[in-house]
Amino acid sequence: MYLARPGRLCTGVDSQESATAPAQPDRGTRLEVLVDAARNGREDAIGEIVTELSPLLWQVARAAGLSTSDAEDVLQTVWLRLLTHLDDIHTSAALTAWLVTTTRREAWRVRGTGRRQLPADQDWLAAIPDQRPGAEDLAVAADLRRELWAALGQLPPQCQELLRIVAFVPRPDYDVIAAKLGMPRGSIGPTRGRCLAKLRALLASSAEGTPR
Amino acid sequence: MTHPDLAGRPAEDEPVDESDGALLDEIREMFQAADPMPASLPERIRFSLALRGLEFEVARLSVEDGSVMLAARGAEHSRTITFDSDSLTIMVRVDSNPDGTVRIDGWLAPAQSRTIELRTMAETLTTDADDGGRFAFRQVPRGTVQLVARAWPGPDGPGQAVVAPALIL
Repeated sequence: MYLARPGRLCTGVDSQESATAPAQPDRGTRLEVLVDAARNGREDAIGEIVTELSPLLWQVARAAGLSTSDAEDVLQTVWLRLLTHLDDIHTSAALTAWLVTTTRREAWRVRGTGRRQLPADQDWLAAIPDQRPGAEDLAVAADLRRELWAALGQLPPQCQELLRIVAFVPRPDYDVIAAKLGMPRGSIGPTRGRCLAKLRALLASSAEGTPR
Repeated sequence: MTHPDLAGRPAEDEPVDESDGALLDEIREMFQAADPMPASLPERIRFSLALRGLEFEVARLSVEDGSVMLAARGAEHSRTITFDSDSLTIMVRVDSNPDGTVRIDGWLAPAQSRTIELRTMAETLTTDADDGGRFAFRQVPRGTVQLVARAWPGPDGPGQAVVAPALIL
């Protein structure tokens, strides 16, 4: 029988920062140990993986154009599905790749059903600052950051999505994930390197005093 | 698959250098600030994954009544929700009770008399669906709950347990 654990109810002061810090050197090894433990039925192990990788999957779902409530549902579905696929996943990179790929697929599935109001395209970047109070804080935080925000918004949608996702991927897994995202559905998609180059070009032109 | 680009470099990405890393760090911080994951979500996910040693199919949330969607979380209205897995559809209607709890009426399709569990934060409620696949939980505390249709022998062979994502009532 299952035991609910009310004592672990979230207090709402969870740190957003802690979960997605850039990789520690041993992160991959640690995740692999956790996957092994989860496969052997250790709930705390799967819980730690959830804590570590959910912030990435949140960005994946939101970058695919889901509303916040749809993104919450999709993340749950993805994690439940992971429990049924643990036997096939052994490395940290494979785990991250499986989770990112499955989240995107589930997000497309939700968008495909049209069961809710969804944006027609991936203009999430433009929409985000209007969706929360305090967006001005972001805009006034630093000129550089504002320029970066504006430059990101001028990138092709696929580049926006790719960079947003890759930015949350721990560095040792960059290449695996970027390769997975780079060739969407048969077309020659953007690569991380090309998207970063475009972004740098946009930043350079804005730094040269050509404000839009 | 690699496609040489115009500069003759391979299309596959070169390793991330330090300035790429710094730019990506900056992008991450921006999105962390602008669109953070809800702080309560990992707890809800961990709750829905506390299914130790259980083989199951995942049922996806497939339909949620659009007219009540906006008020869905913590609403006074009734909600109808449908979960679909490969082998089973679970439809539920959630109504408010005068005492602040909720009532859940459900149907299984195809109709089958499985045992249904409703996991709440405090306890697991259990009931049996009748031959028509109907089941009900008359008094459910508000909060996070998760439906599990237990495995059953079935007339056409055994059916796996079916697990739905957790809901906030």
